[in-house]
Amino acid sequence: MAELSYRDAVIRAISQEMERDNNVVFLGEDVAKAGGVFKATVGLYEKFGPHRVRDTPISEQAILGAAMGAAMTGLRPIAEIMFSDFAAVCFDFIANEMPKLSYMTNGQLTCPLVIRTGNGAGVRFGAQHSQSIENWTMMIPGLKVVAPSSPVDVIGLMAAAVRDNNPVIFHEHKALYSTKGEVPDGEIVDTLGTAKILRAGTDCTIVALAMMVSRALEAAEILARDHGINAEVIDVRSLVPLDTRTILGSVAKTGRLFTVEENPRLLGWGAEIASIVADEAFWDLDGPIVRITTPHIPLPAADHLEDLALPNASRIVEKIARVMNG
Amino acid sequence: MAKEKLATNDDIGLEKRLELYRLQIEIRDAEKRAHDLFLQNLIKGTSHLSLGQEAIAAGFGVALKKGDKSFCTYRGHAHTLARGTPVEGVLGELMLRDNGLMRGKGGSMHLTSVEHGVMGSYAIIGAHLCIACGSAWRAQYLGEKDVTACFFGDGTTNIGAFHEALNFAVVWRLPVIFVCENNLYMEYTPISEVTAVPHPAADRAAAYGLPRILIDGNDADVVYRTASEAIAKAREGGGPSLIECLTYRHSGHSRADPAKYRPPGELEKWLERDPIKIYRQRLKDFGIGQDQIDAIEKESMRKVDEATAACKAAPPAPVDLLTADVYADGGWAWRN
Amino acid sequence: MAESIIMPQLGETVAEGKILAWFKAVGDDVKIGDKLFEVETDKVTVEVEAIAAGKLTAINTGDGGTAKVGMTVAVLDGEASAPKPVLTAAAAPVAAAQAGSSPPSPPAAPAAPKSFSAFDEVHTPIERYGSAKGSGDIRITPLARRLIAQRGIDVKAVAREAQAKGLRKIEEKDVLGFMSAPQVSAAAPAPAASTDLSGDVITLNTIRLRTGEKLAENWRTIPHVFQAIEVDFTEVEAVRLRHKERFRQETGTSLTYLPFIARACCIALQAFPHVNAQFGNGRLRLSPDINLGIAVDLNHNGLVVPVIHAAQDYTLQGLAKAIARQIEKARSGKLAPGDLSGGTYSITNNGAFGTSFTTPIINAPQVAILSSDAIRKKPAVVDDAVVPRLMGTLGQSFDHRAFDGAYAASFLSKLKNIIETKKWAGELGETT
Repeated sequence: MAELSYRDAVIRAISQEMERDNNVVFLGEDVAKAGGVFKATVGLYEKFGPHRVRDTPISEQAILGAAMGAAMTGLRPIAEIMFSDFAAVCFDFIANEMPKLSYMTNGQLTCPLVIRTGNGAGVRFGAQHSQSIENWTMMIPGLKVVAPSSPVDVIGLMAAAVRDNNPVIFHEHKALYSTKGEVPDGEIVDTLGTAKILRAGTDCTIVALAMMVSRALEAAEILARDHGINAEVIDVRSLVPLDTRTILGSVAKTGRLFTVEENPRLLGWGAEIASIVADEAFWDLDGPIVRITTPHIPLPAADHLEDLALPNASRIVEKIARVMNG
Repeated sequence: MAKEKLATNDDIGLEKRLELYRLQIEIRDAEKRAHDLFLQNLIKGTSHLSLGQEAIAAGFGVALKKGDKSFCTYRGHAHTLARGTPVEGVLGELMLRDNGLMRGKGGSMHLTSVEHGVMGSYAIIGAHLCIACGSAWRAQYLGEKDVTACFFGDGTTNIGAFHEALNFAVVWRLPVIFVCENNLYMEYTPISEVTAVPHPAADRAAAYGLPRILIDGNDADVVYRTASEAIAKAREGGGPSLIECLTYRHSGHSRADPAKYRPPGELEKWLERDPIKIYRQRLKDFGIGQDQIDAIEKESMRKVDEATAACKAAPPAPVDLLTADVYADGGWAWRN
Repeated sequence: MAESIIMPQLGETVAEGKILAWFKAVGDDVKIGDKLFEVETDKVTVEVEAIAAGKLTAINTGDGGTAKVGMTVAVLDGEASAPKPVLTAAAAPVAAAQAGSSPPSPPAAPAAPKSFSAFDEVHTPIERYGSAKGSGDIRITPLARRLIAQRGIDVKAVAREAQAKGLRKIEEKDVLGFMSAPQVSAAAPAPAASTDLSGDVITLNTIRLRTGEKLAENWRTIPHVFQAIEVDFTEVEAVRLRHKERFRQETGTSLTYLPFIARACCIALQAFPHVNAQFGNGRLRLSPDINLGIAVDLNHNGLVVPVIHAAQDYTLQGLAKAIARQIEKARSGKLAPGDLSGGTYSITNNGAFGTSFTTPIINAPQVAILSSDAIRKKPAVVDDAVVPRLMGTLGQSFDHRAFDGAYAASFLSKLKNIIETKKWAGELGETT
């Protein structure tokens, strides 16, 4: 057991998988000799050499195309798209090419690869380098979507993603790279499609993802202390596959659901969860389902404005207390 | 006397020549049959023929070895057949029947036959140049000796992915051959009207440090020789090639296109240079008898007829395929 | 090579067919021309024959199930539910690499439970628990409505109490508060008991009171029709006697007639889906699952009807255990709310007391209830000879708004036929 940063967890995760399987290769812009713009791949080039850890030109389409071509012919590539916003310049591969391959070829081909990308706000990069795009990727049949909130999950879910036979988009949260957490020694492998209950509660269920998880946990403590509301907090971790069983089970117990989402409001991932719960768990609901999101705006660069836009503990507390006790 | 001279100087050899002709004829017959089947309303959706462009697919088909990979576009019937894929699988897919290559799940624009090295037909042009790079990278990384050929039309040269892939392949020295089939029109618009250089691929090779290769795409021998050279270079670690083949599409862009935009006389001029016509004469020049030519043509038609009958008799795919293979476990489940 | 057996096109305008009965079971060998199943459409009833041979490895649409034309209803020879192998050029080297030094891959996505289909990706509950509107401008949350309905509370009384407290909405906590408070029944005043009688006055317990209110309501609002049929249990008895001892040793419960009747109901209900349904707001909602209620007498001191959910998935033996478990839970007061909800058909069993027949009251929103009574030897005519046979009467009350007498009678006839002719020994693990 050792304390590890989210950033170092990325390095350890890739390292763990590359040591295990020679077919795992890694490519991206500035990832090799420079160690990545977020320093999340430092040392991999030195450890695995220029054949397995490769710098690419600024060519997102070539990066994902190369990863896909290699994946469908035998390798298990990990490709980095530096900022998740850049997914828009290579969306053909994410939306059209990779996820449809198995289906269109009637299973003749599969596409076992991982796209890791720096997602989310909190680092004052402005509207084109701060977005939470997990919902863009959640809408595509054939793709799996993961977004870990802690160092140990980074390792376990990355290992699961690399070993999965499908294209997996792995959203690393930029603002979490410097956060730390306890990580056990030895190999860590988790399971995609499993949510984690991080705080047990009886009065309401709060579902959160990535950076919003710690804020939801903080809010839950305040709700218990100041408002007498005992909230259950679930880190959804994987949007596709989606662990609806854990969420529905929690709502069956608490009767209330809140989602905390960093994405702008319209069709954020919480909308799908809200829809499933409103349908399948209708008779368990003791009040409206409430989504707490970033407003439907682009993100500003100014720190005080960005902070205002993203859901934080006090906004979560205020909203939940008003709805529950109001 | 002329025959003898040609025969002794023949670098291609009788066996390969017959194979080049057989492939061209078979592609021509299969595509003409596809056209007939549209008219009978037995082919639904869209379909893009490459009548008149057969020499390119055939030239590469003979030059590529088993185990080599090929990628093509939605206009990919020829390239799929040229790798040895059975006619029935192709026509069955065009007719969206259960005996199609992908049992009707892909359709004419996505013909794939992995066992023949046909790694897919890509209908949003450009992407597959990048994907071909990945296939070539795998061979390079694992030390496997196969090469990857990637076919595309002139229109593809103006999309960003073309340039990303070219640069990437050269920088990584990948064993990939990019084959531009310049048939003069992107879809309906002449490529010359929308491109900064006269030869959309060849004139851009220099930008990526590659030699300018511009060849007659209607002469299967020329294509075969050029392909063989590029393939050998790639196999030996010499990196990628970009080849522009001049050719002409006898029919419209797709089944919906009567090709009224072509100036009068253009088609007739190119019909004179029909690759089948050229090659039939070539065989005669090399002393191959009419009876042998007839036998190839008869055998091709027999295959296509047989395939057509099998496709007409084939059922549609069972409906449970609808939700199969969304994910690699064979299923569709996104939740528990 | 797996062959799909599909629902055939049985007429140009026919979109789906209902399988009345399978003539083959999973594991059976099928020859070309063998009768596979009987299918009913809104136009015809036909027997479908096999056009391919092999071993039947899966039946996706069982007796009583409906499938759209072209859907796979069964599979010949292949592995029905195993994921198909991934055919890819990559498969071999990757598998080899993984087999070498690394631990096996963790399971991928949790597979969807079998009850999900791609057209039923989210399960909408079929239960209905009343309107969100209380009286006045009071609104009741879904959870509160469910609790009110499941616990048989008078919604008007809860609403009155909430209004008195100045509430605009009724939530779970209000219902729980109402239940824990001492209640005077606020329902329509019952005729006062005569004061002339000199005997003891029994104060009815809450369960009895609520059951009574609900039964009265059902009796008043549902047009009940009662039908009964005589059933020969001789064959059932032979099997039952062979397995009674073993069953008691293995499970600690006795193998009564009830599980046989319940199992036969499950099979018959699949062929008569309208009997397995809920009625409300002028609509009959068919249930994909048979949620079988078993009326349990609480030592003459109240009645509860615990439910066995998806009872069609149980074998005879499994069903016997499930029934025993629910009865035990009911008698020891350990039923959870889920055990009492969602019922789609009920059985009441008075056989132990020797009754000849019973006309039960329907447990709304269900549309029918079966009564089973004493099973005893009676003279019966078999092949023109009078012989002693073990006979019993099965009776059913049904809601005439939901369907007509002929449908109900057909159901009873099917039920009788199953009990008398089914190869029960197979369900108890005997190989014949």
